[in-house]
Amino acid sequence: MSEAILSIENLSKSFEGNQVFNNISFLVEPGELSAIIGPNGAGKTTLFNLITGALVPDEGKIIFEGRNIVGMEPFDIVRLGMARAFQRTNIFPRMTVLENIVITIITRLKGNLGFVKHWNSSDRIRKKAFEILESVGLADKASHQSGTLAHGNQKRLDIGVALALEPKLLLLDEPVAGMSPEERWETVELVKELWNRMKITMVYIEHDMDIVFGISQKVRVLCYKTLLAEGPPHEISANQQVIEAYLGEEV
Amino acid sequence: MDDMTSSSRAGWITGITVTVVLFILPIFLGQLGKTGEYWIWVCTEMIIMALFAMSLNLILGFGGMVSFGHAAFFGVGAYTVALLMKKADFPLYLALAAAPLVAAIAAAIVGWFCVRLLGLYFSILTLAFGQLLYMIVFQWYTFTGGDDGLHGVPRPEILGPVNYYWLCLILFVICFLIIRMIVNSSFGLSIKTIRENMERAKFIGINVRRYQLLNFIIAGAFAGLAGGMLCELNRFAQTEFLHWSKSAEPILASLVGGMYSLAGPAIGSSVLIFLKIFLQQVHRSMVEVWAIVLGVLLLVVVLFAPQGLVGLYQNIFKKSQS
Repeated sequence: MSEAILSIENLSKSFEGNQVFNNISFLVEPGELSAIIGPNGAGKTTLFNLITGALVPDEGKIIFEGRNIVGMEPFDIVRLGMARAFQRTNIFPRMTVLENIVITIITRLKGNLGFVKHWNSSDRIRKKAFEILESVGLADKASHQSGTLAHGNQKRLDIGVALALEPKLLLLDEPVAGMSPEERWETVELVKELWNRMKITMVYIEHDMDIVFGISQKVRVLCYKTLLAEGPPHEISANQQVIEAYLGEEV
Repeated sequence: MDDMTSSSRAGWITGITVTVVLFILPIFLGQLGKTGEYWIWVCTEMIIMALFAMSLNLILGFGGMVSFGHAAFFGVGAYTVALLMKKADFPLYLALAAAPLVAAIAAAIVGWFCVRLLGLYFSILTLAFGQLLYMIVFQWYTFTGGDDGLHGVPRPEILGPVNYYWLCLILFVICFLIIRMIVNSSFGLSIKTIRENMERAKFIGINVRRYQLLNFIIAGAFAGLAGGMLCELNRFAQTEFLHWSKSAEPILASLVGGMYSLAGPAIGSSVLIFLKIFLQQVHRSMVEVWAIVLGVLLLVVVLFAPQGLVGLYQNIFKKSQS
């Protein structure tokens, strides 16, 4: 077995006495494309918030590449190579698409303290930015104000921003939420293609079971404050507990 | 790309034209005797207050944070110049160099606490620190002269009203170019990124507080220089320079001029000062209605031109093109 890129150990979290997680543990293998599913309120986004440092767990460890990151600031965790894209579109609206990507690259290269040169003066960074925009299909919209893009394109930009960090682990929170059916499958194809090409470990939250069972190597089910089940799609869809708790009759 | 270079060329042409006009302006005003001399003084004040407004806008427009205590650093700069020149016999150029440095140190201390808070809480804390500094200056009679202020700041002989106007104009142009450079730099883009979405900025790896603090210090330094320049113009420093009502002036100027543009606050500040003095000249009693005029003006701007005068100009210009 290869060394896990992310290991969650005995994680617990409660808000004002309401327990969200009780003693969750799991490992994320390098290179995997896996899904986290569960009913509304199961704490899927909370789990991402804990992993990325937006929230601090009550107990437990989060080991990223051999290092316990509990208590670290989000921006320090990002610098270790973990990026996330958000469920609600989360970009920099009154900046152009290009600016969104360029500032992310500048930050990755620790160039934020440049006071003299124009932000757009580095050919290397601009070239890199256009490569990323190309890969998420937004190169022709580089000079558009990002807040005016269509919803689907904003979500693609959100993914592009995460990619610009060149992460080792990418967490995607409902990457196709709010998209039309055509946009959904386009985005799924995009995610899969990026995963194939860039060899980034990806963990995503999703409600659409066609997508989850269509592209995941592994599925984790969060329910009843705990990790109810974990395994390849065909096992999960046949798991009696999961069917009763979440999937229901139709699967 | 072509579009960008042509708009930046237009910016340069406008900038150079305005600068040249401002440079020769006192030569014409000088012909008008006493009135001309008065207007040279007014124009010098306009230039200084324009720099003050631009310094605040680094925090307000570009940083997206409302500071109600910016006058503290303006005042610190003014008192630095007054104290160094009166009590330590510093030459003007050294005192003017020290003003932004001392103001930056004050801004570093105040900012260190303030950037820990968000939104309204940040604003209230800047107000509290500003008033604290005001009270210190007000009470410390032996050092600051209390509510009398410090009068009789020396003026080098070669600096008559016109020469001092030119000195202020040169300093303003240099500061304008530096601020422009900062706003367009990687640092400037980082500040805008934080303004646009602070939470997301953290998740692309930006240490938000650190850059907010740095920006706060830079803005404080420029405010300090402006304060020092005004102190030498008036040849006194007084507690009013640190008062919270002084902090409101650049905020109103940015609103009127347009806080999402570089020159907007400078334009807004000049327009407001001109209007106020113009009304005074029309009739003395107009001083009393200034607050009403200002109120109506702000109402109109907020309702009909939320991007300020610069935004209004851009809208009209764009429409006439298409």
